[in-house]
Amino acid sequence: MTSHYRTRRLAIAALTAVIVVGLAACSTTVPNTTLEPKTEFGRAIDALWDTLLFWGTIVFILVEAFLIYVVIRFRRREGQPAPRHVHGNTTLEIAWTLAPAVILAIIAVPTVKTIFTTQANAPRGSLTVEVIGHQWWWEFRYPEHNVVTANELYLPVGRTVNFALKTQDVLHSFWIPQLGGKRDLITNRTNYLWFTPESTSVWNGVCVEYCGTSHANMRFKTFVVPPEQFDAWANHQRGGPVFMPAPTPTAPTDTGAGAAAATQPAAQASAPAAQPQTSGSLPTFPADQLPLYAASYNPVPRNLTIGNVTGDAARGAQIYRTAPCIACHVVQGVSAGIVGPTLTHFGSRTSIGAGLFPNDPRHLALWIKNSPAMKPGSKMPPFGKSPTMPAGYDDQQLADLAAYLLSLK
Amino acid sequence: MTAIPHEHGHAHHYTTTGLDHRKIAIWAFIGSECLFFGSLISTYLIYKGRSVVGPFPHEAWTNPSTGQTFPAILDIPVTSASTFVLLMSSLFMVLAHASVVRGDRKYSKIWLAATALAGATFLGFQAFEFTSFVHEGLTPRTNLFGSSFFILTGFHGAHVTAGVIWLITLLFIDFRRGLRPADAINVDLCALYWHFVDVVWIAIFTLIYLIQ
Amino acid sequence: MATTVAAPPRYAVPHTKYERGLWSWLATVDHKKIGQLYLYTAIAFFLIGGLEALIIREQLKGPNGQLVSAEMYNQLFTMHGTTMIFLVIMPMGAAFFNYLIPLQIGARDVAFPRLNAFSYWVFLLGALFMNAGWIVGAAPDGGWFAYAPLTTQQFSPGLNMDFWVIGLQILGLSSLAAGFNFITTIINLRAPGMHFMRMPIFTWMSFVTQFLLVLAFPIITVAVTFLMLDRFFGTNFYTITAGADPLLWQHLFWLFGHPEVYILILPAFGLVSEVLPVFSRKPLFGYPVMVYSGILIGFLGFGVWAHHMFAVGMGPIADSVFGVTTMLIAIPTGVKIFNWLATMHGGSLRFTTPMLFAIGLIALFTIGGISGIMHSSPPADLQQTDTYFIVAHFHYVLFGGSMMGIFAGTYFFYPKITGRLMDERLGKIHFWLTFVGMNLAFFPMHFAGLNGMPRRIYQYQANQGWDIENLVSTWGARILGVATLVFIWNFVKSRRSGAVAGRDPWGAATIEWTLPSPPPEYNYAVIPTITSRYPLWDAKSPELTADVPHTPEGEKRTDVSVGGKETHASFKGPSDTHMASEVAHPSAKELGIAMPTPTIKPLLASIGLTVMFLGLILKHSVNYQSLWLPVLLAGVAFFVVSLYAWLLSPLEPEHH
Repeated sequence: MTSHYRTRRLAIAALTAVIVVGLAACSTTVPNTTLEPKTEFGRAIDALWDTLLFWGTIVFILVEAFLIYVVIRFRRREGQPAPRHVHGNTTLEIAWTLAPAVILAIIAVPTVKTIFTTQANAPRGSLTVEVIGHQWWWEFRYPEHNVVTANELYLPVGRTVNFALKTQDVLHSFWIPQLGGKRDLITNRTNYLWFTPESTSVWNGVCVEYCGTSHANMRFKTFVVPPEQFDAWANHQRGGPVFMPAPTPTAPTDTGAGAAAATQPAAQASAPAAQPQTSGSLPTFPADQLPLYAASYNPVPRNLTIGNVTGDAARGAQIYRTAPCIACHVVQGVSAGIVGPTLTHFGSRTSIGAGLFPNDPRHLALWIKNSPAMKPGSKMPPFGKSPTMPAGYDDQQLADLAAYLLSLK
Repeated sequence: MTAIPHEHGHAHHYTTTGLDHRKIAIWAFIGSECLFFGSLISTYLIYKGRSVVGPFPHEAWTNPSTGQTFPAILDIPVTSASTFVLLMSSLFMVLAHASVVRGDRKYSKIWLAATALAGATFLGFQAFEFTSFVHEGLTPRTNLFGSSFFILTGFHGAHVTAGVIWLITLLFIDFRRGLRPADAINVDLCALYWHFVDVVWIAIFTLIYLIQ
Repeated sequence: MATTVAAPPRYAVPHTKYERGLWSWLATVDHKKIGQLYLYTAIAFFLIGGLEALIIREQLKGPNGQLVSAEMYNQLFTMHGTTMIFLVIMPMGAAFFNYLIPLQIGARDVAFPRLNAFSYWVFLLGALFMNAGWIVGAAPDGGWFAYAPLTTQQFSPGLNMDFWVIGLQILGLSSLAAGFNFITTIINLRAPGMHFMRMPIFTWMSFVTQFLLVLAFPIITVAVTFLMLDRFFGTNFYTITAGADPLLWQHLFWLFGHPEVYILILPAFGLVSEVLPVFSRKPLFGYPVMVYSGILIGFLGFGVWAHHMFAVGMGPIADSVFGVTTMLIAIPTGVKIFNWLATMHGGSLRFTTPMLFAIGLIALFTIGGISGIMHSSPPADLQQTDTYFIVAHFHYVLFGGSMMGIFAGTYFFYPKITGRLMDERLGKIHFWLTFVGMNLAFFPMHFAGLNGMPRRIYQYQANQGWDIENLVSTWGARILGVATLVFIWNFVKSRRSGAVAGRDPWGAATIEWTLPSPPPEYNYAVIPTITSRYPLWDAKSPELTADVPHTPEGEKRTDVSVGGKETHASFKGPSDTHMASEVAHPSAKELGIAMPTPTIKPLLASIGLTVMFLGLILKHSVNYQSLWLPVLLAGVAFFVVSLYAWLLSPLEPEHH
């Protein structure tokens, strides 16, 4: 009977492993959890989830316990008579057809209720935000405030926000895990999703419908801020850029690849609900205050480098006026392209590439130099000088352009 | 014994239901085809009225940029005629089968030929319809209506074509060695297929041509 | 019907070239050989799909994985899903349909043996076509679900999705042909006395599966045809500028896609329902209910497709309807689980490898079923869909369910197929590695999903709370890799050195176990007459089945006569001891049984078909674009000529 013994030991080992993994998973910081909702929509779903989890666990325990009991109790023993041939039992079979039906009814009633409450029309007076998906970035429009921005979503706490979801190209899906369930962006259609953020913080958002090469790189950040700050932000975003030039060295020591993570204050790692603050005179969230989970620090490919040069914003502004950039990007009063994200207040955003890299001089210069190398499939062609593109910008010009864009607060 | 043998010539093989295997298979096939045409027809209906540009099936359309006017594209009288021909072919098919069953070698040939001819006439009408549509400015690439219309009716036409080839093959066998009552199953299968294709056309004709 | 066959005179039968070596496989129309071809092909693709999974797991083992590029990752996950569904689990099912159904219903072959060969060759060529993208560096990359408009020419200009579209088109033809064949076989080739309610449960579940195949595949054929025409001929079915609705693709795809899930799981349910009674030494509990629940699952399977689309915004009414129908489908599924448990309850359980895998299915499929209920609730699904929670769910269903069932079936029927048993010790190692590896790989994915990790991402940042889950998953996948190697080793080695199985190594109850292992070409020298659901048990120990409920009224159990005198003797003997290897059995010719003539015409027809589609893909090639129409037409001509040659030649040698 050693094989039985071994069998049991293995089973115990497997069970232990599962439990350990489960505990480990629960004890880590989970900044994108779906189980601590911060909106009424999220809470409605979470209540349903609790019901499902409760009944699911009961069924799981009953079935698996009975299976284990049967396996142990009815294993073949020496000299045992052949078992009686039972072909069925109508009463029992009816019973275990009805029992699941009852449990399912218990689940179905709140499910249908929740469907109808969460999919009702958004309440009057809610803030409309148009979300437009692009391969692979997000455009956010605030018709009420006449504001257009990209990849960084600002919402006032306590006011219901109604998202009108559209897409420019393929299907995408809009999801901020802690704020509530996702909704797809369907070509030639408009979808709606509404909820009321209940606390201020920074949340990660992602695209969750496979949309091609850089589907994984289509992220955004959501800043839920107090209403006054939101109004200030909207006023600032509505106007033209505030030109705030500053020396911008592209030295890698500043914010090297992955170094951003290391230089973050340790305390922030465990404070997922960090309060958004303002950056000096600007009502935008300061990049250096981002909690670790919301910071962008994807590694830059090793073979993509730039010399240590200091950019000059004035020179950059000159270059920009005639640069190919203007065909695709808006800078209010300077250029009017609409294919790419708006750059009017680019310097006040925290990341580039739809949440991939910190918005600093080095990463920005590299991005302009060769964005497809930093983000697979990027629709923005490389503009840096290279053997295949001798007419491209040299490192100094790239740094100047970066300095100019970063000065657009 | 025979110049052209056939797939399951061994009638003595045991079958559970007593039916020929092929008879059961063709019913399964027809069931499957229902879903095939069901999907095509549903697509047509879903896309009905959603084309961004014309021409349209039942109403005239003026191209806003060129000012050119396209009349409603469907010609219901002509298609009614071709529908009638196809319906008659089903009748011929019944007669052909009956002739084979009673061993009437002369009429089996006549009715098989008539069925094939009616099918070919229907295809001729369809070819005429397709070419005139293209001349009027509607191709499968023009709009949603063009895509869903041509593909639906085109697949139906392909089925009719396959049926005509099947009928001609039967006719060929009939001329080579004669179809005997024992061969009735071969004609029966073809007839089932043919009637099915007819029924599908009635659905298509009603949903696309008659209902506006 | 059953008569004793007089021992025929032995004389040398001249071998044609189709009876030995490679030709015997290329020209075979024998369902048992075709079943084996399906099995070996599916195992080969299991290794390929598994390798793809391992690369995926290595890439994701930690944040910002650098093993493969985004483009490569997208091809890997697309091909992993496509391979495992269409080239592994479905053909594994087909392998068992082919090998077992004629044996279980007492037939000598399927209804259309040459069509059966055609199905296999079309499947093989379609599978190779699907994977040909790897060779030219453009494997499909639009996901196995290939959502339009991403997969249209505008957004996927490469050859990648061309291979997918055409490959799936070819595979669909194979499944449809097989579906018609097996429906006819089961309806029309059951031995005398084999009523529907006496059919072995595997055959029953396969029967339901065939209906799902012939009703679901036309829908995907239409959807894929639209995409193909859009890509190659510029039609507008999914062209967004023409006003197309991307939901058309989704509805058509999932109308096929959800029945497809049951196409994948029902054969496994059938296999497990064969294994559990044998090793419990008890008949299947509630056979009729098992049959009806299988039919009900198949039926309801067509009414739940939109639960894959709760996030697309269908509106509250559609969401409610599809949510509730999805919950309903849990009832027949639950009944199956309970009936399996009741089958084991009160039995005398023998933990052979097939039994372990069957129990594994119950344990693991239950988890997949419960998580399935969790996202049948549309609002809850909004937090789960497109996250790793879903990945966890369907791996519990498809690996914990389908693959466990297939492994159980493989260990169980291997002795029938090869005449030798697989190694039990290696089998148990395989089981435990699979069980542990599978839970380590897929259970943490539930947590990753609930913690917000999206699917189909080739990289993720650190500090998202997903690191440990992913690392554990990767270790689980590695263990599964080792488990698979153990299985392959066992499978290959046992063919030569396994214990000789004899006719009935397990003490089973159904008639295929009266046959020699492997069975002769003609299966049954004399078509058996069936008098009960468990003819072998009834013959061996009639006292056990004397008073049983659920027996149809008026049905008297009588001793069966199966395959004449010599086979009759064998199943009276003790079944647990291995019987001596079979002596050479008389050939079909010697017995005067007409068997279908081997022919390569089905293979030629399938080649014609593939050349036709090859012509189509040349339309998008750079160097051979001008050849596309000639090649396509050559393929059509070759196909038509082969088809006529096939249809106009007799199935069996002429009698005179």
